Order: sequence, then structure tokens, then C-alpha cells
Amino acid sequence: MSAPLANSGRGPRQQFELSIGCVALRLEMSDAQLFDAASARYAAFTGAAAQPVTIALNEGAAPEGPPADFDYEFEGAALRVFSNGIRFDGVRHQYALDSLLRVLLSWKLLGHCGFLLHAATVIRSGKAYLFTGRSGAGKSTVASLAPEGSVLTDEISLLRRENGAWRAHGTPFWGEFRAAGSNTSAPVGGIFRLQQAAENQATALRPLAMLRALLPNVLFFSADAEANRRLLEILSQAATEISGYNLAFRKNSAFWEVLPS
Amino acid sequence: MSAPAAVFWQKNPALAWREIDDETIIISPNDSVMHELNDTGSFLWKNIDGRKSAAELAELLVENYEVTPEIALSDTEALLQEMSSRKLVVAVPATSGVSP
Repeated sequence: MSAPLANSGRGPRQQFELSIGCVALRLEMSDAQLFDAASARYAAFTGAAAQPVTIALNEGAAPEGPPADFDYEFEGAALRVFSNGIRFDGVRHQYALDSLLRVLLSWKLLGHCGFLLHAATVIRSGKAYLFTGRSGAGKSTVASLAPEGSVLTDEISLLRRENGAWRAHGTPFWGEFRAAGSNTSAPVGGIFRLQQAAENQATALRPLAMLRALLPNVLFFSADAEANRRLLEILSQAATEISGYNLAFRKNSAFWEVLPS
Repeated sequence: MSAPAAVFWQKNPALAWREIDDETIIISPNDSVMHELNDTGSFLWKNIDGRKSAAELAELLVENYEVTPEIALSDTEALLQEMSSRKLVVAVPATSGVSP
């Protein structure tokens, strides 16, 4: 999993490769403590089948050359995507690394007809059901009510259109469960917008309503017009092709009974 | 009433938009605000190309919807003002087809 690289003077550089939603990444860093924490945090997602994109962590001065294709700063940590590599700087702990990985992934998924969604994903009868909504809507409750081993994530779901069909992938980005995510995927059976209610009831959404439901819950961090156009194109396709529902949700396990089969 | 300024209308190039179910969703990436246009608004939006005035856009409305020229112009100007205040469209000098 890890291999020492050339000594940069700040301790041996180590690397590990991970794959999230089939997006292959290689992290290189000199901070042994951060390396250990990251290795443990992403243990279920290590290994990259495809050619990974290299991310250099805290490597000091940025290389000379053209400006970054995409950059983002979060609480002192900075992400910069260059044509020849990616830099994460000012990363002092695993949580900052985790945040920048989410930002990076939201950007990289544009090239894979995919996106990140604030949603819990549960596998049932071989299909992925996604439950979206803001904090407190019930994502973690859905995850906690689902059978053990069936939850891909309770917080951040990853969707990709592959070979003409939408699949949901597990992510290592978890909320209240604080457990390792499941690095598997399944065809999407439906997306449900959670709304707390006295009774469980599912109501189908037209594509426009589905797009309205998705937009506030999508993770995206670029203000670039072209990137946002591509994102909107992907989301419109998802809203048109994936069955969407409002799920009035009483926060008990009986909600499964009202889901369309 | 003063003569209307000779301006054409164009979409704000910083926006992303998409038509779905005959309505248009517009995203303003800089402030993450979402706007929606109904079918008439979507029709006008599609025709806002930086080369048409409010009067020309209103003429298209008359050709495609059952509406009088007066109401079409009034509605078009109102919508353009609303979209302008939301920074969805910008007025540009009418550089062609307009007498100096």
C-alpha cells in the first residue's frame, strides 16, 4: 500500500493510491502522521486500477507555469489543479485532506458524467436507493434503519452515468456513522427527497421537480461558467433518466414499504 | 415619455442554464443562486442573443403566442428589467440595424 519515495528533507515521501467512484488518485506526502491517518481513513478505498492522477501534499512552492485550471481554498488549505498534476497545500490534518478530496472529486467527476450528492445510499435487492436532503432531513436515520452491510454511505453519495446507465458508488465521506464506506457500486433504483412527516408516502417527481430537488444538495465548488454548464447538463440528464420521488418520512423502518419496487 | 434607448439584450455570459419540461433553470455560479423561467420566459431567453432589442423580442412573442403587440412589448420589457436586476441579462449598445 505504501512505498517510500525520494527523501525531500522533510521525512521520506510516501504514497498511496485510492479509487473513489472509479476515479483513481495517488497521494504523495512527507508527513508520516498524516500518512498514517489517511491510510487508515481510506483503507477500504485503496488501490487504483486505472492510471491515477498524482496529488502532491504540502510540497512547498508551487511550480512555475500557467495558472491552475481549478483552485479552491478551505480554512487555510488550498487545492490547485494543474495540467500536469494536483497540489494540496496547507493540509494540517486528515479532515482538511478529506475536505479537499471532496472538492477535487466534485471537479474530476465532470469528466466522468458524475457528481457528488448530499445523500445516503442504501442497497436493496441489488439496486441503489438514494435519500437526499439537507442536514437533519433524515439521511443518517435512513442509514441506521437499513440492514447491516447495505449502506454505501450515510452522507455523500457519488453517481456516475456509465455505459448508458446510472450507478451509485460508495464513498469514504461519511457523516454520523463514522465507519469505513463501502467501495462498491450498484445501478440506481431511485432518488428520494426526504421530508419529515407523520406518515410515510412516496410521490413521483417530474424531471423539473427532480432537478430542483437535486440542485441544493449537489456538492460543487467551482464558479467557472463552463464547469457549471457541464454540471447542469449532467444533472438535467440525471433528473430526466432517474426516477425521483418526494418521500414523506416518519423516521421508522416502515418507509421501505412505500418505496416503488 | 422618452424614446427607448437603442440597446440589444444579451445573456450574462457567467451563467449556466438548461431547459427542462418547457421551463428554464438558470444557475448563477458566483452566488450559487438558482432562477427559473416559465415557458414564455424560456421562449424569450432562448431568443436573447445580443442582437435583438426588446421590441424585436416582443415581435417574436406576438408571432408565437396569442398576445397583442402592446401586451407583448409591455411583458417583454418587464421581464427584461426583472432579469436585468437579477444580473441574468445585460444591455449592450445596438451597433447594427439602428440609425445613429
